[in-house]
Amino acid sequence: MVAIITSIIGIATAIIIVVLIRRDHLHVRYGLWWMSAAIVFSLLGLFPAFFDSFAKYLGVSYPPMLALTVGVVILVIKILVMDIERSRNAIRLQRLTQRIALLESDLRETQGKPREADNNSNHGELDDARHK
Amino acid sequence: MTTSTTNKPVLSLPHCIVIIPAFNESQDIAYVIGEIHKHSNFPVVVIDDASTDDTIIKAKQAGAVVVPLAVQLGAWGATQTGLRYALKNNYSYAITMDADGQHLAESLPILLQPIINKEADVTIGSCTERGSVLRKIAWSLMKKVSGLRLEDLTSGFRVYDRRAIRRLAAWQATLLEYQDVGVLAMLQASGIKIKDVEVEMLPRRHGMSRIFYSWTSVFYYMSYTLLLSFTKRGTTHHQPH
Repeated sequence: MVAIITSIIGIATAIIIVVLIRRDHLHVRYGLWWMSAAIVFSLLGLFPAFFDSFAKYLGVSYPPMLALTVGVVILVIKILVMDIERSRNAIRLQRLTQRIALLESDLRETQGKPREADNNSNHGELDDARHK
Repeated sequence: MTTSTTNKPVLSLPHCIVIIPAFNESQDIAYVIGEIHKHSNFPVVVIDDASTDDTIIKAKQAGAVVVPLAVQLGAWGATQTGLRYALKNNYSYAITMDADGQHLAESLPILLQPIINKEADVTIGSCTERGSVLRKIAWSLMKKVSGLRLEDLTSGFRVYDRRAIRRLAAWQATLLEYQDVGVLAMLQASGIKIKDVEVEMLPRRHGMSRIFYSWTSVFYYMSYTLLLSFTKRGTTHHQPH
């Protein structure tokens, strides 16, 4: 029963990922990771004996414990990678903010007047504000 | 469409701009810009993707407008910056070309012809002879999975009309990392007509491809593209070819 539930979770995850990418809600880069997770889930559900024999090979007496440990380790790695990416994004955002500030001060000097906020400028499709 | 100055025909089309995304291309950028100026009267904008060499100086000296990116965005991110520049400055047509001299400025009239004749909204300069066996396998796999019926999906030598520029300047296109399957699927989903145009291409003069430089990047690129192709299947209407 657990095996069936596991594979259902895997397949459901895969479907959700496809829909999210299709509707432009998920970056394909992250979709790849989640897709792999979904495939592993489905495979474990379909072939539960694999983990039992793997545990036996490693000398683990209680296979579910091995599954949980491996799962936790992978999650910790994923979270660490996410934090590394968050840090890189924070740096990029800060550099970008500084660059805009420097540019704006240059502009004010050359134009001799304060610049209007971005939402006033007629950039047409610049709907950046909508997306973070 | 063409006027004769000396003995060379100079191409002119109103409201048309050439966009060149460049990353560390100081060796070829001036030559590429010079060739464009020789064959057309189009303004050139170089989007510098945070180069560490003197690409910016070389491009400015060659007479291009340079838009320097504050952080590196990759080839598509840089190209999209150029398309946004074109949109903001009210250009009707945008031509994208590589900075490495692979794309020939003398092919511009052939590439623009279907646009001028209103046969297509977007043209892709395709050269199916280029590429190793491995690349060809990759391309046919991408075509099969995405259902896109175009010859050269990865070519960066393209012309976009105003509607295509507008579509690709939108935030949905910012989510993409490469300019091939995702961009083309998005255009076709909006009913924009894309046409292949066979052109000649040269091997890169210097440097190397930003995708095909290591096995891990090729692996990432292929997994990325195949997953994207698969998820975007059916969003495009197929065009008769």
